[in-house]
Amino acid sequence: MYRATIIDFEQGCKCLEAGVSELKRILEEETSETRIDPKQYLELYTTIYNMCIQKHPHDHSQRLYNKYHDIVEHYAKKTVLPCVQQKHDEYLLRELSRRWDHYKVFVKWLSHFFNYLERFFIPQRNYPSLLEVAMKSFRNRVYLEVQVNAKDVVIALIDKEREGAQIDMELLKNVLDIFVQSGMGTIERYKEDFEMFLLEETESYYARKASRWIQECSCPEYMIKSEESLKKEKERVTHYLHSSTESKLVEIVQDILLVSVAKHLLEKEHSGCSALLRDDKTDDLSRMYRLYHPIPKGLEPVADAFRIYVAREGNALIKQAQDAAANGSLVEAQVLVGKIIDLHEKYMVYVMDCFKNHTLFHKALKEAFEVFCNKKVAGSSSAELVANFCDSLFKKSGNDKLSDEAMEATIDNVVKLLDYISDKDIFSEFYRKKLARRLLFDHHKVNKEHETSMITKLKRQQGGQYTSKMEGMVTDMQLAKEFQKGFKGSLTAKPGGIDLAVTVLNTGFWPSYKTSTDLNLPREMVECVEAFKSYYGTKTNQRKLRWLYSHGTCHVIGSFDPKPIELVLSTYQAVVLCLFNNTERLTYQEIIEQLNLSHEDLVRVLLSLSCAKYRILNKEPASKSISTTDVFEFNSKFTSTMRRIKVSIPPPPIDERKKVVEDVDQDRRYAIDACIVRIMKSRKVLPHQQLVSQCVEQLSRMFKPDIKMIKKRIEDLITRDYLKRDAKNHHIFNYVA
Amino acid sequence: MHKLSRSNRDKLQQFVAITGASDKNALQALKASDWQLEAAFDVFYSQPQPRSNGDMRRLEELYNRYKDPYSDMILAEGISVLCSDLQVEPQDIVTLVLSWHMNAATACEFSKEEFFGGLQALGVDSIGKLQEKLSFMRSELKDEQKFHEIYNFAFGWAKEKGQKSLALDTAIGMWQLLFAEREWPLVNHWCDFLQDHHNKAISKDTWAQLLEFARTVDPALSNYDAEGAWPYLIDEFVEYLYDKSVVEK
Repeated sequence: MYRATIIDFEQGCKCLEAGVSELKRILEEETSETRIDPKQYLELYTTIYNMCIQKHPHDHSQRLYNKYHDIVEHYAKKTVLPCVQQKHDEYLLRELSRRWDHYKVFVKWLSHFFNYLERFFIPQRNYPSLLEVAMKSFRNRVYLEVQVNAKDVVIALIDKEREGAQIDMELLKNVLDIFVQSGMGTIERYKEDFEMFLLEETESYYARKASRWIQECSCPEYMIKSEESLKKEKERVTHYLHSSTESKLVEIVQDILLVSVAKHLLEKEHSGCSALLRDDKTDDLSRMYRLYHPIPKGLEPVADAFRIYVAREGNALIKQAQDAAANGSLVEAQVLVGKIIDLHEKYMVYVMDCFKNHTLFHKALKEAFEVFCNKKVAGSSSAELVANFCDSLFKKSGNDKLSDEAMEATIDNVVKLLDYISDKDIFSEFYRKKLARRLLFDHHKVNKEHETSMITKLKRQQGGQYTSKMEGMVTDMQLAKEFQKGFKGSLTAKPGGIDLAVTVLNTGFWPSYKTSTDLNLPREMVECVEAFKSYYGTKTNQRKLRWLYSHGTCHVIGSFDPKPIELVLSTYQAVVLCLFNNTERLTYQEIIEQLNLSHEDLVRVLLSLSCAKYRILNKEPASKSISTTDVFEFNSKFTSTMRRIKVSIPPPPIDERKKVVEDVDQDRRYAIDACIVRIMKSRKVLPHQQLVSQCVEQLSRMFKPDIKMIKKRIEDLITRDYLKRDAKNHHIFNYVA
Repeated sequence: MHKLSRSNRDKLQQFVAITGASDKNALQALKASDWQLEAAFDVFYSQPQPRSNGDMRRLEELYNRYKDPYSDMILAEGISVLCSDLQVEPQDIVTLVLSWHMNAATACEFSKEEFFGGLQALGVDSIGKLQEKLSFMRSELKDEQKFHEIYNFAFGWAKEKGQKSLALDTAIGMWQLLFAEREWPLVNHWCDFLQDHHNKAISKDTWAQLLEFARTVDPALSNYDAEGAWPYLIDEFVEYLYDKSVVEK
């Protein structure tokens, strides 16, 4: 409606005030819906509108703005505040909440009335909006007066809820919204007037709980309570706290419940980490991981406890074997490797399941194993024990005691175990020696797939150089077979009437064996050797053969009176028996002169033929040992139920372990020399400390070098003019080109 | 000739007595170094000595007196005669200093060049003059730098020809001799240790480093760096000292 007349300010105000009172009245009545009569609304709106667009000096915009301010101020101060201040405790909150809701509605309608100001006047003058003005008034007149009390009540209610009571969450949510809004665009009021106190109270609340729980509860029980508490606090945030509080609240709870008591908790005697591991409590361990994972560095004490426990278990196994060995039983040492592998598998499962494959726990497992995997048992290093284990493993495979998958799994485990052993070169030496024996003496039992699988896996982990000799050995056997076929094919007749099979070994790959070319072979065998030599000469160029009779096998038919029996013998044994083809009786001296065997070897052979299980020869005197005056006679009465007998001969008592250690030591010296020269060649000048530490690092893949040995090698290289000391500083070395 | 003060005249006399230089050269050297005797010696010895024919003839005569009848070298017998002429014992350390001046390749032998070179370096051409030089040569051992050179020279000189290392007994003998001139409190322990534990020849590096050790590490081993680049043998020696409670750890 267009009005021609000017509205006077006071006039307009009167109209306004009537509307405001009406509004207040409606609010007080709290009917379900607050509605202003549309006609009245329109009138108010238009009045204000007109007052604003009137030409100067009747443009009352500024005065209207101020009026608005006064109205809200008045309402806040005179209506809202007194009502709230009268109440206490929860009633305080209820009243505050109620009044806040009213205020919001009040302001909303008022803003509608004064809307025209919002469109032009306020932006033009860059004044605070109507809503801002209202909020400021509420804050100054109401909030600041009651916030302390309100805060106290809220926190008390929260504590009640923590103890299990039900509280009015909507109420709290609404009240806390006041705190948030009072920040006027920032979260400051909420933070400083409420959150700060909440966090303080939370801290002391949980501190009390923690000290009680840690005394009364077992570790799993405590963890369950902690998990519960964390869950509840997070729920609290979603229900009525501001979202920004969550991270701070969680941090406090974690800190109080988990971090500060971590040591006490994990080390609880009957229920702590080690007990949980001992009793296989995977649920509790998973919970432990879940709880400590989000805390920075929280998992470290857990990983530590894990490592210590595993190391203890491992050490116990070692000690068991050591004690048994001290008492004379070596069985424990033999099964030790298997037990260590089982231990590894068991705890790897924990790492993967409970500890979710976390690197910290992989590391802990590795470190634990490195601790005990390098201890000695009965003089054998772990490297030797593992090599023995592999030996028995592969010898068993001929009997099909393990399925293919089980075998592969065990091979995998052995290779993994090798990773923990620092003297890897010792393992490779022992393994090679035993592999040689398996290939040469048990080759009908050898399972080529398994052997190759092990070598391939070792190669993958340690590199080609580590396994090159082993591979060479296996290939040699293959080549020898084929070569043998060719040899057989080339023969028109059996040399000496004997079926000869020769295996040619490449010296570089195989362990060194003493040759025995001085042995006087019987005529038939000499023919064999010559036949093969000439064939070999036609097929190869300038290669020299060294014959190892000590490692050969012979099948001999013994024509005994009862029945002929096939004897499976070593070549030495066969050669001795062949002497009896020409005569019935021989003295020890005669035998040794005719054969040219060493005294030690001959004694062993004669023992096996005359004093052991099978008496092929009779000995005078019939004592249990051989003396140089004994006389031997072919035992024509010998018989057995079987048609073929293997007459075993005990191996010579060489201290294999000592030889291996010596060989490895020598190799290490070369390796260190090469390493030092390599480093100095590239760096030219280097101080002593750095040279040593780089050397250790580069060699650590194969073995742990002894610092003293490195020093000695450095001095040796100085004497050999590869290095020299710097003239000015004798702790620095220069490379001599 | 201008008048010399009494002290300067004394210095001149001293200088001539020690170096065997002519008065003219002596005066020149002393003047050039502002009448400081030590500096004057340096000046004098850094000048190339003019070889007069007379000098050469005398050296030739001297050489022939000592040289071996069958080879063109002075061998053990000749050296023995030389020592008695000089009135010193053959084991006297001054023979080492003399050998050092000659740059002799090996003990108990002087080649002709070595003999000539040494005597010329010392500026002498007669036994008398050489004898006068003996105290000077002894004094050289007190000089830190020269002792260092003589010590290192001694290794090559004392070892067998064609060997790379020095036999233990010889080394011990040399050490006793050398460290009599320059005190090292641990020298006896060192020699005991070697005889008990080592029984092998001494490498050049070990020999050289031992002097470093004696010079820089104090007898209580307080500044010994176990992580340092000391040769292996010296590390063992330190452990030996701790074991025998010669030094507290």
